[in-house]
Amino acid sequence: MPQPLRILLVDDETVRAAMVEEALGQEGHEVICHLQSPASLNDMVARHAPDVVIIDMESPDRDTLDSMALLNRENPRPVVFFADQHDPDSMQAALASGVSAYVVDGLVPSRVKAILEVAVARFDAFQSMRQELDRTRSQLAERKRIERAKGLLMKHQDCDEPQAYRMLRKLAMDRGQRIGEVAANVIDILEGLEKGQ
Amino acid sequence: MSMSHAPERSHLTLGFVPLLDAALPIVAREGGFFAAEGLDVTLSRESAWSTLRDKLAAGLLDGAQLLAPLPLAMSLGLSGPPCDTLAPLVLGRNGNTLVLSHRWAQGMAAPYDDTPGGRDPAINARGFAARLPGRGAPRPRLAMVHPFSSHHFQLRDWLALGGLDPDADVELVALPPSRMVEALELGRIEGFCVGEPWGTQAAHRGGGHIVATGAQLWPGHPEKVLGVTRHWAERHPTTLTAMIRALIAAADWLTASPDHRRQARDWLALPPYLDRALDHLPTLPLGEAPVDQRFTALRPDAGQLGAVVEHLARQLGGSLDRERIDACYSPVHVDAATPRGGA
Repeated sequence: MPQPLRILLVDDETVRAAMVEEALGQEGHEVICHLQSPASLNDMVARHAPDVVIIDMESPDRDTLDSMALLNRENPRPVVFFADQHDPDSMQAALASGVSAYVVDGLVPSRVKAILEVAVARFDAFQSMRQELDRTRSQLAERKRIERAKGLLMKHQDCDEPQAYRMLRKLAMDRGQRIGEVAANVIDILEGLEKGQ
Repeated sequence: MSMSHAPERSHLTLGFVPLLDAALPIVAREGGFFAAEGLDVTLSRESAWSTLRDKLAAGLLDGAQLLAPLPLAMSLGLSGPPCDTLAPLVLGRNGNTLVLSHRWAQGMAAPYDDTPGGRDPAINARGFAARLPGRGAPRPRLAMVHPFSSHHFQLRDWLALGGLDPDADVELVALPPSRMVEALELGRIEGFCVGEPWGTQAAHRGGGHIVATGAQLWPGHPEKVLGVTRHWAERHPTTLTAMIRALIAAADWLTASPDHRRQARDWLALPPYLDRALDHLPTLPLGEAPVDQRFTALRPDAGQLGAVVEHLARQLGGSLDRERIDACYSPVHVDAATPRGGA
């Protein structure tokens, strides 16, 4: 069993950070989370002396790490940019997922690769989770819109709910639009009328 | 533009960092100069120079606003994996300020005022050195934006004017430009060297004093450049020419009238670009002391990178390949785009 590594995780997405932390913890590593991004990252690195820093590609703190890799000559554990030119595929995968990593000089590449793969998998999983959430949210919003349009139609056309729904469906078919789009249109027109009164 | 010269690629994504010298790409887009060259350009705001570098190298961006030393550092493999990168156009000259907190700046002259301290940057630097605590006490922390930036090298040069060793007498850290003012106000750093509008913003908000400028230390230095990979440039020569022409047209328009600079300021203040960071500037100040921001003389010249090359050579512990520097900052692309030397 290889020695566990100390990993510093810099990520503003708290849910994603928790996912990565759990997954790396299960592999036996010690994960230190750094959720906010103040100027104290230098102190964090100095205090915890991590073997690996995993950081969100979009984080403004990346330049701080880049600089530490080059300037901290007296630091016994310099952080150097992980640039494995012999393995461009894993670098591309990390980049596409938004993971970047800094590791101490001399760490066995295969161990870094394993950690990177875990982080990339969690970043990807988080991305699909968020897309799913967005989809659910927009479906919910659409359902609310249809209800609102039905209510307005019932009032203006003095009809019942099934009739109002049939009207919306017919409009959608005639125009070749989705029923949600037609509902938004109906709301615009009927609410405009109400305001005009 | 004749059809035979249609760009190989009409939709481009260019990366930028929210700074005043992102002006040319923003003006070229908002003012229709890219469109006039048949280019549909998306500008992608990035929060770190390392991110711009990595996205450019990986082909996720077609081009980017880069710190002038970065294309050479990328080509030499000093910053990220080696990636042959070109700087076909200068995007801005000067623009940097050196700002210190009240405590450290007390009694110092403002750059270019009529006192000797205003004229000679060494006087403020020696004043700073005189205030340093003795060995063993905590060193003041000064920030710059990236190890391969003129800000880093200018800060080192200024400290050296005061007889200081930048590696031993102070602690140098890198912070994104947009975080400098807040870090100074919160007392996390004692000073910084950064591009506009952040230096004048710190002075305007009262958190710091401008004690030197990049224009004083390296007058007229190329500060930002357009960066493209050699691979990209070779595959898209007509697109590159069109991009250069649009950026030069934007610069010509910008310098033509004060009205244009006010209009440009309003474009830059749009939320996708610099947003509220320009609140203290009623217009784009060009060529004004002490910052002396300029968008002229866009033709790159490797000879003007002298100070950068010296710092890089010292970092490498050797000399740099002259041919590589010349290739990196070659004016051939500008000359191809402007047959009569319009840049």
